[in-house]
Amino acid sequence: MTIAINQLSKEFDGFQALKKINLQVREGEFIAILGPSGCGKTTLLRLLAGFLSPSEGEIVIGNNVVGNPQQTLPPEHRNIGMVFQSFALWPHLNVQEHIRFPLMHHRFVRKEIKKNQHERINEVLKMVDLEAFAERMPNELSGGQKQRVALARAIAPQPELLLMDEPLSNLDAELRMEMRSEIQALHQLTKATIVYVTHDQGEALAMADRIVVMNQGEIEQIGTPSDIYTKPVSPFVARFVGKANLVEGVWHEKHFVPSLASDIRWPDTGVVSAMKEQNIYPVRPEQFRLSKENESGSGLPGLITSVQFQGKEIYYTLEVADQTWAVHTDVSQQFSLGEAVYIHLSVPRNTVTKNYHHQAI
Amino acid sequence: MKNMSKEIMPIRALSSLFKVKFIKIIALLAIIIFFLVPVLRLVLLSFQVDSQLSLQNYADILQDSKTWSVLTDTILIVIGSTAISVILGVLLAWLVAYTDIRAKKWMQVFIILPFVIPSYISTLAWTQFLGANGLYGKLVSVLPFSLEPINLYSMGGIIFVLGFSHYPLVYLLSVSVFRKVPREVEQAARVSGASGWRTFLKVTVPLALPGIASGGFLAFLANLDNFGIPAFLGIPAQIDVLSTYIYQQVVGFGPSAFQRAATLSVLLGIIALCGTLVQWLLLKKSKRLETTVEDKKPRVQLGKAKNLIEFLLWSFFLLTSLVPFISMLMTSLLAAYGLDFTWENISLKNYQFVLENSPKAKRAIGNSLQLALVTTIIGVVIGTAFAYYRVRKPNRWSQFSEMSISLPYALPGTVMALAMIFAWMEPVPGWNPGIYGSVMILFIAYVTRFLILQVRGSITAIMQVDVSMEEAAMVSGSNGWSKWRKILIPLLLPSVLSGAFLVFLTALTELTVSSLLWSSNSETIGVVIFSFEQSGYTTYSTAFSSLIIAFILCGFITLYVLQYFWNRKVANVK
Ligand SMILES: Nc1ncnc2c1ncn2[C@@H]1O[C@H](COP(=O)(O)OP(=O)(O)O)[C@@H](O)[C@H]1O
Ligand SMILES: [Mg+2]
Repeated sequence: MTIAINQLSKEFDGFQALKKINLQVREGEFIAILGPSGCGKTTLLRLLAGFLSPSEGEIVIGNNVVGNPQQTLPPEHRNIGMVFQSFALWPHLNVQEHIRFPLMHHRFVRKEIKKNQHERINEVLKMVDLEAFAERMPNELSGGQKQRVALARAIAPQPELLLMDEPLSNLDAELRMEMRSEIQALHQLTKATIVYVTHDQGEALAMADRIVVMNQGEIEQIGTPSDIYTKPVSPFVARFVGKANLVEGVWHEKHFVPSLASDIRWPDTGVVSAMKEQNIYPVRPEQFRLSKENESGSGLPGLITSVQFQGKEIYYTLEVADQTWAVHTDVSQQFSLGEAVYIHLSVPRNTVTKNYHHQAI
Repeated sequence: MKNMSKEIMPIRALSSLFKVKFIKIIALLAIIIFFLVPVLRLVLLSFQVDSQLSLQNYADILQDSKTWSVLTDTILIVIGSTAISVILGVLLAWLVAYTDIRAKKWMQVFIILPFVIPSYISTLAWTQFLGANGLYGKLVSVLPFSLEPINLYSMGGIIFVLGFSHYPLVYLLSVSVFRKVPREVEQAARVSGASGWRTFLKVTVPLALPGIASGGFLAFLANLDNFGIPAFLGIPAQIDVLSTYIYQQVVGFGPSAFQRAATLSVLLGIIALCGTLVQWLLLKKSKRLETTVEDKKPRVQLGKAKNLIEFLLWSFFLLTSLVPFISMLMTSLLAAYGLDFTWENISLKNYQFVLENSPKAKRAIGNSLQLALVTTIIGVVIGTAFAYYRVRKPNRWSQFSEMSISLPYALPGTVMALAMIFAWMEPVPGWNPGIYGSVMILFIAYVTRFLILQVRGSITAIMQVDVSMEEAAMVSGSNGWSKWRKILIPLLLPSVLSGAFLVFLTALTELTVSSLLWSSNSETIGVVIFSFEQSGYTTYSTAFSSLIIAFILCGFITLYVLQYFWNRKVANVK
């Protein structure tokens, strides 16, 4: 089901939680809403679900206006399913009864499913791999199993729109990885449109067709995971998604001169114009390279202030003039705490235009 | 979603909006009429002489030397009994929360006991225990030296029984506060070089103090408000406190003393409300510890002293929570008061009298059961509905409503009863519908006084059910009745019912309000026990009280069993 959100605002007692949001979601798309805590993600999701009414603007789901400041279609009249951060399982009902509940009450359940409730319950139990646990009570389930029950309850009535609010944040790291692929598989299987809220950029990058990055009630950028990651349009997105260092300097037509060293020129690796206008070069930690000697004078001097060995990579923190930069390198070359090194921008070959190749290296 | 047309929605929304507004206004009006107006009329009356506004009543009362002696006695009694409650409550709380004594659950049962048994019944039990023929006399007579008999019908006696009846209030708040003091904070003090005692003084006490003080104020209010104990012990000895003094004015002098009683009530009410305010502020302050969970593991190992302390504790519990009631039971089984407790003298005729031969007692049982049942049912329905609104839509109106609803309970019972008389004798000046003088006034008074108890119980219950459980039901397509029936009621029922049980018990054994509002044919259990005792029929009053205690115990066991099975089904509601 498609969603159109037009000029949507939400105000709580004078506090603007959402500011004129615009977003179009395509049929069957997996959209991740990504942003730091308190940026309004849950508010947006609850507006989509119908738990809140817009202060301004409108929400169109399918062909119908379901919410505007005058009228709000209540949640039970929307063709949706929802997975809550806290699981929200009912402690007095067993797994099977959790799945039966929406089959009995959801207004959009197809007739043949309603008739063959029992089969549908088994089918859903199989989808989430809980066949052996049909009779269990919630308190007899592990965290991951609880999460699956919550998912099963949401997908059982075959809603066209699935809303998920940080569904994995209550699970431990390993289980989170496992559930990522299960949720993706369910998306393939159900073909439902999914709006998935998270503050974890790894989750959003791994699962979503498109990511909506939010900050302080506003949308900063909408794009595919690779766009968001490699072509952030704002300092916030660069920092939040790519953990980028925002290097200040001066943008010339095709190259960048960091203000820390006027004799160094960095070629354009596809930085978007919005960043260029602010004279910022966002460099993700893995885009830097370190060396002991200043080969060909292209390096900025820095001092290593912390070293974290990660197995496959090493995370360094460096002091560069009065700034702190993060650099991730592979383990082939290692530096130690307190060492003075040179920092280089590693440039993928194909992005460098011939012209600058000679000058930069 | 196709069927949603843009034309229908606004009309539906508008009409439902109108309905909601309408219900809100009606509810607010009802709250003002039932909860606020009576109190306002009482205050107004105290400022009236011959329908003229005047301060004459206050001038008269404050010039009366009797007022000052009543006030002095009240203050002495309240301070003395509160001191006993605080010392006992805090000491027991610390022992239970901090040390490694065993069988804490059972101790807790004995500590709570004086709290759930109506204080006038405890008083009866104590008088039987310490009375001329009581167990105390028998125990003491075995001793080689002679001890003075204890006379409970005295200031000291009132202070003692009050203090022992209300220490559970201090205990309950203190024990949870003690358990919430983070263990790490204390350990941090120890590794910083503070001794155990210093840590207790510098870390534990400051953190726990607001909670303890708030418990102390609860005991203060309970002691000030109590009517049963000074009525049973003080009236025969001509010791008056404010609550019994007001009662005697109304009962002794009828409507001519109403203005006087109203004036005294306003004085008593003001003291009580100030106490409530301080208690509330302290409780709010102690919420600082609210985020930490209760730590139930012992922190202090008593070592060798443990056995001795346990022995002392159990002696204390048996002596204060069990033996008096056994004494009362023994009296109730005697064929005539004053006989020795021997096989020949034992009979059930007192019970037969209460249950069969006394029309007054039979009526009272019927009335009290009816009153308690109606109060409970209205409480469960209206109280829970209001609690739901209060929790899910916290705003100024729901806060105002909650404060209004708690007013009749925050006021001492005598004050509240008097307010009820003024409000319902002639609801509109010149029109007496006969509410006062019939059982109707008791229904109104009970519901207004005890509704807040259910509201608080239900608020606790509703706060335990995360809003997302309800929302999960809504996105599953269910709202309105099916959501309540299948999700909310099953989840709320156990805690709402235990709140309802408390309301039921409180209403069933109520004495203070009904002693001012009863009329012939509308006696309540408390009133009849009081009147048996006042006319010297101690065997009847003890038999009746023993029956009530048996009933309370059965109720608690049933509730416990029900909750046990429920908890086995849904272990952790989260
Ligand atoms: N019901 C509410 N009343 C008042 N403020 C709210 C309410 N719900 C959310 N907010 C505020 O709106 C902002 C966004 O909240 P939320 O949408 O929950 O953030 P997120 O889910 O991104 O962490 C927060 O600052 C929060 O305090
Ligand atoms: Mg959130």
